[in-house]
This record gives sequence, C-alpha cells and structure tokens, in this order.
Amino acid sequence: MNMTAKIREIGKQGRGREELLAVLREARESYGCLTPEVIVELAAGLDLPVGEVYGVATFYSFLSTRPKGRNNIRICKSIPCFLKDSQIIIDTVAEAIDIQPGETTADNRFSFELTNCIGACDKAPAMMVNHRVYGGLTPAEIARILAEHK
Amino acid sequence: MAKPGKGTITVTINGSAAMGSEGMTLLELARQSGIEIPTLCHHEELSAIGSCRICVVEVEGARTLVASCHTPIAPGMVIQTHSEKVLAARRMITELLLASHPDSCLVCDKANRCQLRHVATDLEAAQPQVRGRKRCYPIEDVSPYIKRDLSKCVLCRRCVAACREMAGQNVLHMAYRGFNSKVVVDTDRPLDKEVCRDCDICVNVCPTGALSLVEESGSKKKGKPLFIKG
Repeated sequence: MNMTAKIREIGKQGRGREELLAVLREARESYGCLTPEVIVELAAGLDLPVGEVYGVATFYSFLSTRPKGRNNIRICKSIPCFLKDSQIIIDTVAEAIDIQPGETTADNRFSFELTNCIGACDKAPAMMVNHRVYGGLTPAEIARILAEHK
Repeated sequence: MAKPGKGTITVTINGSAAMGSEGMTLLELARQSGIEIPTLCHHEELSAIGSCRICVVEVEGARTLVASCHTPIAPGMVIQTHSEKVLAARRMITELLLASHPDSCLVCDKANRCQLRHVATDLEAAQPQVRGRKRCYPIEDVSPYIKRDLSKCVLCRRCVAACREMAGQNVLHMAYRGFNSKVVVDTDRPLDKEVCRDCDICVNVCPTGALSLVEESGSKKKGKPLFIKG
C-alpha cells in the first residue's frame, strides 16, 4: 500500500490524531522536509485541521519544515553541555563547515543547528550527526567526525 | 451554604470551611465563596487551559503551587488563595508576562479593557525585574474584520479554544515551541476572510490587545479608569 492510500485509510478510520506523529515522521523521511504543501495534503488525508498538523510539525525539531542538507549536525545547547564548554564545539564546527547554526552549506553536504537536550548529558558536550550521537567532544575530533559524513 | 449530601466535598479555604460538589475546581469554589482569584487564560465557557498560571493557589501537602482553574477539589484540602507565597508567585508571573509585552499600553486600543493590565494593577506588579527579549511580529491586518497584533499576545490559548469549542471552526492553532510559540492560521498564513468567517468570538475572549476588530482608533470607549490601590 502506498503512503497516500495508507494515510487516507487512517483518516477514514478517524485515527488521524493518534497516528499523526508516525505519519509526519514517515513523510519527513520520504519528502526530505515537511513543506506547507505536504502538510496541507497530509491534513486533508488524515482529516485533521491544517493548523494542528502544522503545529505538531513545527514543535518537533526532528520534523523539519525547511529543506535540510544530506547530513544534519545537531549540537546540544542545554546547560550540562554548556557547562562542558559546548560553545567551543559549536564555534569549531561553525568554522570547519563555514556556516552558522540554522544554515545549510552551499554544497548541501551539511545542515547545522543547535538543539535542546539529546539525552547524552553523561557524555557532554554532545552532538548528533544524522542519527548518531557523538559524546565527550573535543575540538580536535571535529574534523575527523565531519570527514565520516560525505 | 448547601447541606452536606452525597457528592458534597468540604474543604478549607483561607481558614474557613467551604462546601462544593464533586468535580468543581478550586477556582469555582473560591468564587462561590466570594474569594476573587485573578485569571487570564481561564474562561467560564471554555474548557480549562491552565497555561497562564496567574490563578495559582497553595494547597497543603502539594509539592508546588497548583493552578486553581483546572484542579478539582478533594475532601479535606486546605487551601490558601492569598498567602505571601501565592501573591509573590502571581506577581512574578505577571512581571514575566509584562517583560515580553510591548510597552505600548498608553496608545493600545484595548486600554482599560485589557485583562493583563487589570491583573497587573491588582497585584501591584512592579516594573519587570527581568530584561528579556520581546516577541515582535508585524501587525496582521489582511482580514477586513479582524486585526492581529501578536506582539501583544500572552499565549493564553483562549482564542484557540474559543475557535474550536464556541465557533466550531478550528482555524486557530498553536505552533512552534518555546520562545517562538505562536497562534497560527493553517501553515502560519495571515488570517483572511477565506479561512475565517469573522464571528468575532476570538476577539471577545482575547484578554489583551492582540486580537481586535478593524475599526477606527478611538471609536470605542476604553473602559472605566483604573484606580490604583495603595
């Protein structure tokens, strides 16, 4: 069953609200990002108000509503990482790929953003590249980690 | 006072006993007993929201102050509605709201009908001690009926609830998170007459000047003068 049919089925059964997060996640994987057009279409299929779908999509930073690069770097900006000098890591990454948090490199290789706690406080300062967590970071390691992701 | 019967709950408010029926909230019971608790997000005709925390009260044994607008009464509760701790918390909440509110009260068309202003005056809230960022949004006046000035929004969610529950329309929703939280229309597009049928319900429930009808400035009375206590 393709995605559109599946979504329509969920909408018909009135399970739109329960399945919303799962559907958004799947849509994010297949479309790359949740553009307003995608959101309007999902809302119609799930039989939910557009605003509600948009509200959920914009609440979670993993459900991006803007186009992202091939690799997504997320550095934790919460207090435990901050106390472990995450700012140095942020500056090092920003310098290495020459963009600021919230931007994407011109070659579309990296997107860079700051995120709230990713649950790796024991390994602070921590960052995520795509779905992999890197902890106990030092500026010296950044170049090697970034080189792993083409 | 009602006779104790089935479903009657006796609690102690500010040292005296009060009786209420099961399912009543602390706020309802307090108001029934003639105790005024300030509120911002609470609206009698809407389901409880509990976002503004202005209505907090002290309940003996509770770990934190509880919001009276959505906490049901329970037998034997001992409640303080105007203790030092409660007033300090309400004042701090108001000051925090004011800290991110535009300083345009003198020329705001909501003037003395503004509930944030009422609450702040009543609590004798001071100049905010906190200096923070203000949320700045351009005024939205695309619709010929409703003007939205979201810089003045306190995110109480009354309009969202009213649109859903009273108007049955589901036009307004919350989006984004944290400091960026905002009441949006669809995918954050301007409120125009295509999506909204100008029922005015959201305008009437807005506690601040964030939502207003499009009308000439100064064409409406601005409410009674505020008498500052003290």
